[in-house]
Amino acid sequence: MQVSLSWLSTHLDLSSYTIPQLSDLLTFAGVEVEGIEERGVATDKVVVAQIQSFEQHPNADKLSVCQVDDGSGTPRQIVCGAKNFKAGDKVPLALPGAVLPGGFTIKEGKLRGVDSLGMMCSGKELGIGEDTGGLLIMAADSPIGTPFNQLNPADVLFDLEITPNRPDLLSHLGLARELAALTGLPLKGERHHANSSTKAKAAAEEQIVIKAAEACPIYTARIIKGVKVGPSPEWLRRRLESIGLRPINSIVDITNYVMMEMGQSLHCFDMDKLNGGIVVRMAGEGEKFLALDGQTYELKTDDLVIADSQRTVAIAGVMGGEETGVTESTVNVLLESAYFAPSGIRRTSRRLGLSSDSSYRFERGIDPQQVQGGSELATKLILSIAGGTAEDVVQVAGAVPALVGEVTLDENRARKLLGTPDMTGDEIHAILEKLGLTKKSASKHESHWGIPSYRLDLQRQVDLMEEIARVIGLDRVPSRQVAVASPVDAADRTYDFAMGLRQTLASRGFFEAQTLRLIADAQLADSLGGGQGVAVKNPLSEDHTTLRPSIVPGLIATAALNIRQGLHRLRFFELGRVFLTLPKGGSREEERLAVLISGPVSPTSWHGREPQAADIHELVGQIQNLTRTPLEVRPAKENSANYLLTSELRAGNRILGWIAQMHPARAREIDARHPVYVAELLLSALRQGSTGPTKFEELPRFPGMTRDVAMEVPADLPHAKVAAFFAAQKHPLFVGAEVFDVFADPSGTKIAKDRKSIAWTLTYRSAEKTLETAEVDAAHTAILTALEKTLPATVRR
Amino acid sequence: MLTQLDSLKTAALAALDAAQDESALEAVRVNFLGKKGSVTALSQGMKDVPVDQKKEVGAKLNDVRTAITEGIDTKKLALQAAQDAKAVEGIDITLPGRLGAGVGALHPLTQIRDLAIRTLRRMGFALAEGPEIETEWHCFDALNTPADHPARNEKDTFYLPDGRLLRTHTSSVQIRTMEAAKALPIRIIAPGSAYRRDEIDATHLSVFNQLEGLYVNQDVSLGDLKGTLEYFFREIFGAGTAVRFRPHFFPFTEPSFEIDVKLEAKGKEARWIEIAGCGMVDPAVFAEINKARGDTLFDPDTTTGFAFGLGLDRLAMIMHGITDIRHLIENDVRFLQQFAA
Repeated sequence: MQVSLSWLSTHLDLSSYTIPQLSDLLTFAGVEVEGIEERGVATDKVVVAQIQSFEQHPNADKLSVCQVDDGSGTPRQIVCGAKNFKAGDKVPLALPGAVLPGGFTIKEGKLRGVDSLGMMCSGKELGIGEDTGGLLIMAADSPIGTPFNQLNPADVLFDLEITPNRPDLLSHLGLARELAALTGLPLKGERHHANSSTKAKAAAEEQIVIKAAEACPIYTARIIKGVKVGPSPEWLRRRLESIGLRPINSIVDITNYVMMEMGQSLHCFDMDKLNGGIVVRMAGEGEKFLALDGQTYELKTDDLVIADSQRTVAIAGVMGGEETGVTESTVNVLLESAYFAPSGIRRTSRRLGLSSDSSYRFERGIDPQQVQGGSELATKLILSIAGGTAEDVVQVAGAVPALVGEVTLDENRARKLLGTPDMTGDEIHAILEKLGLTKKSASKHESHWGIPSYRLDLQRQVDLMEEIARVIGLDRVPSRQVAVASPVDAADRTYDFAMGLRQTLASRGFFEAQTLRLIADAQLADSLGGGQGVAVKNPLSEDHTTLRPSIVPGLIATAALNIRQGLHRLRFFELGRVFLTLPKGGSREEERLAVLISGPVSPTSWHGREPQAADIHELVGQIQNLTRTPLEVRPAKENSANYLLTSELRAGNRILGWIAQMHPARAREIDARHPVYVAELLLSALRQGSTGPTKFEELPRFPGMTRDVAMEVPADLPHAKVAAFFAAQKHPLFVGAEVFDVFADPSGTKIAKDRKSIAWTLTYRSAEKTLETAEVDAAHTAILTALEKTLPATVRR
Repeated sequence: MLTQLDSLKTAALAALDAAQDESALEAVRVNFLGKKGSVTALSQGMKDVPVDQKKEVGAKLNDVRTAITEGIDTKKLALQAAQDAKAVEGIDITLPGRLGAGVGALHPLTQIRDLAIRTLRRMGFALAEGPEIETEWHCFDALNTPADHPARNEKDTFYLPDGRLLRTHTSSVQIRTMEAAKALPIRIIAPGSAYRRDEIDATHLSVFNQLEGLYVNQDVSLGDLKGTLEYFFREIFGAGTAVRFRPHFFPFTEPSFEIDVKLEAKGKEARWIEIAGCGMVDPAVFAEINKARGDTLFDPDTTTGFAFGLGLDRLAMIMHGITDIRHLIENDVRFLQQFAA
C-alpha cells in the first residue's frame, strides 16, 4: 500500500522523526517498508512563472525562446524544448541555483547561442507525477512568483506491506492510529469512525432489503440530490495521485479518498438509473453482469450482489456496475456504505479473478463500526465539492455486527511464552492500553480486556501476547539456548547415507545436479525404472506438467545443456525424490540416485592422447563401487524406445535399480558426441546392503595358490553364466575365481566369429596348512572337468 | 714383486677411473681380483718370495687388494649416485598434474543444506521428513490456515486431480511429526522441496528448497527461539553477524517474526537481508493436532514451541552472491565447478 507522509501528517505530527526513523518504526511494528520515494522539491528556487511570449529559436528548430514573468518584475528569458504551452500558461520555473531531484543544479547559460536564465520544468523533473511529454501546466490561478513547494508540498511515499492480519492499517488514519500508539504522539484532526453525528433511520422495505444477512449484516444508504459532478479540486486530485490513484470525477474521487483516509470502502450509484430500492442478495446462477471495468462477469449463487428491483447493480464489495455508475451527467446519487463479510468477498473476487482496492479491504475485514462514519465523511465532502442536498438521515438496514469481544490475559503465561519473567503487570497494561485496548478488570495475574472494533485480529490471549512482543521487541527478550538429546531416526540415517554417496561420487569426478521435480510430458520417455509419474492438475506450463517418476530425464536435460556449451565429457549424478502413481490410486514417493556418464574416462591431459570413451562397463563399475555386495546385471527383455541394453541391477533378491545406454537416435537429438550411459538406483535398496557393523573375518594364515585357465566359449555365453558356475563350486580348497581376459575377433581370423576366449584366475587355499602343488593340481583338474561338463566351454590345456 | 704390485695398483685405479658403468666395473674386478685376475696371480707367487721379504710383500699385497676393492665400492656408489640423479632428469614439475577421474563437486545447494544441518544437529535437532504430495489438511488446515486463505487456490498452489496438492512449504512436516510423536520434546529439522505456482524467473522457482525447524516442549519461550536462531545464523554467517527479528504474520505461529541478517555485499554498505520466518507455534495448531490424534499430548495450557523456516535457495544465493536463481537448476558445469570443495 502506498502511504503519503504528508497525508499521514494530517493525523499526527511526525516532524520529530527522520525518514529512516519512521521506516524503522514501521518495520518494528510489523509493517514491512518495501520502498521509500521522496517526491517534489524542497528548494524555494522553483517558482510559479507565467509565459508571456515565445518565438522560434534562431539556431534550433526544436527550441523556443520564451519571455517569462517570475514575479520579480523583470522579464526572464528561458530557452525551452517543450511544445505543450501557449502564451499565458503558468509553469514551474527553476531559477539558477535550484537543485532538482536527482541532484541536478540549474545554472545560467546559453543554449545554441541564446541566453537561458533558468529552466521551465515538467512534473517528472520535479519528482511529481509521470512524464507527460512537456511542461507541467499549472492552474491558471496559481500566484506568480510563489515557491512551487508551497503549492505542491514535498512528500515522502512509503510502499508498505500490510500483513493480512492487520486490515486496520490499510488507511492513513489506521496507520496514524498505530503510530500514535507506538510513539505516544497524540492523534489530531477527526477520528471519523467514532463520531458519526448523522441520524440513522431504519430503512423501509422498499428502500433497502438485506436477503443475505450473514454476508451483509449492515447496509446503509445516503441520498444526495442535485450534485454537479466535475473534476475534483486540486488538493483532492493531488492526494489521490500521490498514492498512485487516477482521479476520475469528484464523486468517485471522494469515495476513493474516504477509503484511503479511513479504510471504509464506499460505492455511489447514479440514483436515477436505479429502479426502486436496494436489494442485497445472492446472485442468480449464471447471471451476467457488466462491471465498471467494461467486462461482463458470469455470477453464481454464492456471489453477493447489490440489486435494484430489476437487476444486479454491483458485485458487493468488489465492483459497481457500468450502467449505474456515477458520470459527469449524474445529478442524484445514492451513497452506499456497508460491511460485507470477508469470506464471501474473497471467494467471489478470486473466482472472478477480479480484485479491487475495495475487495482487498473487505476480504481482510474492515471495522464495522466505521460504516456510518465513512458515509458521513463522504457526504460532507460531496456537499462541499459537488454541491447538492443530502437527506438528513442515513438509511440503515441490519445492524453493526459484534466481531470483537473481551479477552482474558493470564499474565504469567505471557511472561513464560515471551521469556520475560521480569515484565511487570503495569508494563503489560500500559502496552495494551496504548494500543487502544480497554482494561475491564484486573486481578493479581489476570486482566480482562475490551478490544477496539478495528482490531479484528485480537480474539485470544495469545493475540494479546503477540501485541506485547511486538511492542517490546525482541531486543528486550534475553536469548536462551537449550540442547536436547535427540535420538537418531530413519531420516537421519537416510540423510547420512545419501550424503556419503554424494561425497563419494563428487570425489570420483561427478558433478551433482539438482533438477526440477516437475518435468514435461515429452521428457517422460527418458525415464528409467518403468514407473508412472504423477500429473499435476494445474501445471504452469507444458514444460512442468508431471512430478518425475525418474531422475534420469533431468540428468539428460542437464547433459544436453552442457553439450550445447561444448562439453562432451559428462559425469553427473542427482540424488532426490521421485513420484510414482500406484496402480490402485494414490502415489508413492521414494529417494533415488541417478548417474549419467558419457565421454572419456579421464579428462584430456598433456600426457598422451585423448583417453578412451567410457563404455557401459565403466558405469557398472562405478555402481559396483557404491554397493558393498556383488552386483548382478540382468538384461531386461525389452528396451524402451530411448534406450539400449536396459538391464536390472540386483544384489541377491533386491532390485537396486536400472542401467541402460541411451539409444544412438536419442543421443543424436542432444548432439552427444560419445555414447551416453545412465543408471538409476533405489536409495533404500542400496542402504540395505550396508546396515549394521561389519563383522571381522580372520585373515588366512597360509598362502593361497593360483591357477589360470583359458577357455573358448560361444560368443553369446554371458559372463554371468561362467561366474555362476564358479560361485557354485564347493571344493574345500577352492576360494574363488576372477575373470582376467575376454577376447573376441569379429574378423574371425584369430578365433572363430561365433566364439570368444575367456581367461580366469582360480585361487586355492587351505586353512590348515600350506598346500602342496599336487593337491592344488588335483583340485584344479576336478573343477575344470566340472566346468567342461556344465558349460559349452573348451579348456585350453 | 713390490714394483709389480705398485704398477698393478696404478693400472687398476686407472681402469676404475675409466669405468663408466656397472659392467665395466665388474670387468675391472674380474681382471684384477678375479680367480684369474692379475692380483690373484701375483698372490699365488707369494710362496716363492724369500722369507725375510714375505712380511713386506704380504702387507703390500693386502694393501693393493684393499685399495682396489675400496676403489670398486667407491666407484659403484658414485655410478649409482649418478644414475639416481638421472632418474628425474628432464622432468618439468611445473606441468599440471594428471587428475585421474577429474574433479567433481557437490551442488552448492547441497553444501549449504549440509552446513545448516550440521550446525543444527550440534544443537540437538534431529532430521524429519514428510511427503511432498500432501493433503490440504496437513498443508493448510492443521497449520491454522483458513479454508478461504488466498494461498489455497489453483492460481498459487499445484493440485492433483484427487484433491491432494504439492506442499507449498515444508511446514507440513511439523504436522506430520507432531501427529506421529510418542512423547515430548520434539526437536526436529526438515529440509525439503516445496512448490508454488510461480513463473520461473531470476528470483523465483516453482520448485524450491526449504529448511523447517520445530521445537516443542513444556515452557518453550520466545527467548529460546531468539537464542537458537541467533546462534544458528552466526554459525552460518560468522560470529559477529547482526541478526534482527521483525514482527510479521504467519497463520501457524504467534507471535511471528521475520529474521534479517546484516550482510555486506562486495563493495557495498552492509544491509539487512531477509532470511527466514519464525514464531511461536499457534495454540490453534496444537489443538488441531490433538483433535487428529485423539489425545492431549500437546496440551495447549502447558505446551509451547517455536518453529522456523528458511529458503535454502535464497541462502545459497546470498552466501555465494549468485544473481540468478535459475543457475541452481540448470547445472551448467561452468557454474557447478565453482563450488568444487
